[in-house]
Amino acid sequence: MSWRDDAWSDTQTGRSGFSLRAERLLVRVLLVLRGDVREGAKSATEQRQDRRRAEELADIILTDFPRRAIPFGIAAVAIIVLLCTMPLMRDLFSGSTARSAGVAPVANVVESSLRARSAEMSDGLEALRAVVAPFAADAAPANEPREAVAPCCDAAAPFKRS
Amino acid sequence: MLDPQTERQTIQRARRGDREAITLLIRSYQRPLEAFLFRLCGQSDLAEDLSQEAFVRVIRSLDRFDERFRFSTWLFTIGKRLLVNHQQKMKPTPDSEMVEYRAGDARTPATETEEVERTQRVSQLVGVALDSLVSPQREIVLLFHQQGWSVQQIATELSMPEGTIKSHLFRARRRMLEAIERSGVRNAEEVLR
Repeated sequence: MSWRDDAWSDTQTGRSGFSLRAERLLVRVLLVLRGDVREGAKSATEQRQDRRRAEELADIILTDFPRRAIPFGIAAVAIIVLLCTMPLMRDLFSGSTARSAGVAPVANVVESSLRARSAEMSDGLEALRAVVAPFAADAAPANEPREAVAPCCDAAAPFKRS
Repeated sequence: MLDPQTERQTIQRARRGDREAITLLIRSYQRPLEAFLFRLCGQSDLAEDLSQEAFVRVIRSLDRFDERFRFSTWLFTIGKRLLVNHQQKMKPTPDSEMVEYRAGDARTPATETEEVERTQRVSQLVGVALDSLVSPQREIVLLFHQQGWSVQQIATELSMPEGTIKSHLFRARRRMLEAIERSGVRNAEEVLR
């Protein structure tokens, strides 16, 4: 005999003080409660209705399944985009400051290089002028009296005979 | 109700979003949960809404379900919490029409007036008996007599010693008997037929 049966012993023997009718009615109440969830207590229509409701509810739950993934998907895409664009962003941010600070030295280098070249060229020109100057001095105007042309054997030009 | 092995396998499939498994879980526990909530609150629509809400919550959180416990225990706990939250927001008003409809056997043909009347009397009787119970007793009676849970299972669920559960059940039956005696149900023979 189970505890469930034991618990009823008092009422079954009438020691509870309640009428037999009340006890039988209580049993009826408890049977009705049990019938609430008994599969066989349902009509075919009710069973169909339950099945349909269960399927509808399953659909509601399932349509929400992808929605659960959306925030994770968005977060994943955002992370990937961030990782991919990070080098570009870094260049962009560091480039804007480097452009103002880094281009000027390059220009200075080019300018100073050009200046050095032009200085070298002008030095070269000066040197050439220095070489050419004595000859230019010889090329006097036609109206000025010309020196007598030395014979070939004396030709030690451009230096004058001492 | 599913047996523990089938239940575990169904839950594992449901976790992967298997529609059939989800439907099976809902179909297996929908009516017991609704009946439990309905007998607690007395409102059929509310019981249905809360039951649906409990299923949505439970199935969405299946990843967190500890398989050492029964699914039904978890589901009923969430259903009960939802009801308590709802009752804290607004005072419930029993829907007598739905009580009669629900408690009445669905096989009853509406055309047979006598049968309908008998069903109504039984419904009244169930209402009288359950209304006499206070909060933990009603829940314990429903879990034991309606849902067929063991004393041990109820004790675990309600965090009470088994002796306390037995004592509550005993006192609850006495209270229900007293209420039935006081109500003086007319045509008792019809009810008992």
